[in-house]
Amino acid sequence: MSKLGADSRRDLEIRRYPLLVYVLAPLAALVLQAWLPSVLRGYVLFDLPLVVTVYFALGRRSPIQGTLMGAAMGLFEDALTHHAIGVNGIAKTVVGFLAASVGIRIDVENHTIRLVLSFLLSLLSSTIYVFIYRVLLGLNQEWSWLTELFKAVGNSLIAVVLFPLLDRMQIKD
Amino acid sequence: MESFFVRYRNLVVLLAILLAQIIGLAVQVRRTGSGRNTLDPQDAPGVRLIRLWADAVVSPPERLIHSSKLGMIYLWQNYFDLRHTREQNQELQKTIDRLRLEQAALLEDARQGQRLQALMDFQRKYIYKTLAAQAIGSSGSDQSRVFYLDKGSADGLERDMAVITADGIVGKIREVFPHSAQVLPINDPTSGAGVILESTRIRGILRGNAAGQPQIVGILADQRIQKGEKVLTAGGDLIFPLGLPVGVVEKVAPDPERDSFIDVIVQPAAHLDRLDEVLVITSTQPRFSPEEQQDMATSEALKGPEAEAIKERKKASEVMAERLPGLTDPNAPASNPAPNAAPATGSGTPEQGQNQAKPASPAAPPMVLRPAHPDRFSPGAVPQAAADQPVPGTEAKPAQQTEPRRNP
Repeated sequence: MSKLGADSRRDLEIRRYPLLVYVLAPLAALVLQAWLPSVLRGYVLFDLPLVVTVYFALGRRSPIQGTLMGAAMGLFEDALTHHAIGVNGIAKTVVGFLAASVGIRIDVENHTIRLVLSFLLSLLSSTIYVFIYRVLLGLNQEWSWLTELFKAVGNSLIAVVLFPLLDRMQIKD
Repeated sequence: MESFFVRYRNLVVLLAILLAQIIGLAVQVRRTGSGRNTLDPQDAPGVRLIRLWADAVVSPPERLIHSSKLGMIYLWQNYFDLRHTREQNQELQKTIDRLRLEQAALLEDARQGQRLQALMDFQRKYIYKTLAAQAIGSSGSDQSRVFYLDKGSADGLERDMAVITADGIVGKIREVFPHSAQVLPINDPTSGAGVILESTRIRGILRGNAAGQPQIVGILADQRIQKGEKVLTAGGDLIFPLGLPVGVVEKVAPDPERDSFIDVIVQPAAHLDRLDEVLVITSTQPRFSPEEQQDMATSEALKGPEAEAIKERKKASEVMAERLPGLTDPNAPASNPAPNAAPATGSGTPEQGQNQAKPASPAAPPMVLRPAHPDRFSPGAVPQAAADQPVPGTEAKPAQQTEPRRNP
């Protein structure tokens, strides 16, 4: 894992994508996240909006953009449930910010690093979700850490497949 | 000051967005009388607006995907996969004939039930009108089991309407948008439906558990509740009409939070994890719908006489069974004699009773049963001359013979 100075890395590689990719990729992630569980009989062991948030935050290397994207994706996910709006929003806001901050400092081209980062950020998102729901709001919510662990593994595997596909869509100088 | 915001702009933006969301969350949660926090069941206008936007973005692509899937299925089922259709049609026709016969036989009972309900000033609500809808998407979260329908307020859907399938109840409509609706299924922990166990008549509230199974909560431990017992809607929640199938009892588990209470895990009748088409009950009335009435009239016209004949035959056989005299052999051995059981005849000794309790030998000659009300034709009856002698104390009794008896 090669370490670089923050400014030098940011200047070195800020990925740019066509506007359509910025719109369609998150939209596709949200639609698939809502549609696939009905096909897969309820086994929701993945979080596509989280994976897309992490990808764009790592690629753009801008904490503000990562924060905004995470907030938007999380709020969208919350709005599709019947729970409070903002729980996923806060979790993904933090994840987007952290992913962009990490992207500035380390080389994220390596697949292993991407896999590990996706796994850790997925676990962090689940932890924040539980903290907000149970501690901050004081609501009763059944929880299984094993499920969240499986979900983190699922997200990592999806990231390994999805990141190279999205890499192909970037604008190359 | 300007340099502070420029230098820490990332953190400032992060904190501002987090703060805004935390305030938004605080608005949505309220404290109940018992001191517990809960989410408002009715969304505030601002929250509803966000849900509306999200639905407006996600529903059209979902509808498109679902339509494409249905189109492909339709193409396959109607053009390529038509084998055995004729046999299936014949089987279905037989089933329709059988159901029509059953319906015609039950029609008179239903009418009588309605008349009795009217007399008791109790009007049961019948499903009057339903609307078919397709399940097009889910919440995408394992923490929320809501799903979306392709029909909304433009099609006449409203909040709290019951959603069912032919197998059983599914849930209720929680939120309605112009062209879609959000359904809260019975296996979600925040749902609730009044149910009743069919044979024990125990009532309870049905809601989902963490594993996504519906369970009846808050009922006292009862040995009578057995696996396989049917669960029906109780009709008291003003959402589901009375008597709709909910499922069967799968397991009875002790309530982990309260002693002497149990949770009854229910296997839902509707396939909640593979819903495709559902029915939304848009209207309930204290009478049958025109379609149901028409169907009943058809059944009565086609199968009424046949059903009546079957009913008459059944009734006649029941009457015959009641009228036939019971052939009880006083000397026959008891099937399960008690250890100290007294003999059948009052004058017998205990030893005799024990002997009588033994199984009869297969070689024993058949016994002539003593009739309960002997007459002159009964075997072993007294001769006519002796019968004509007046017996003291019997003059006042009314004569039961078929021929009038004359005293000399």
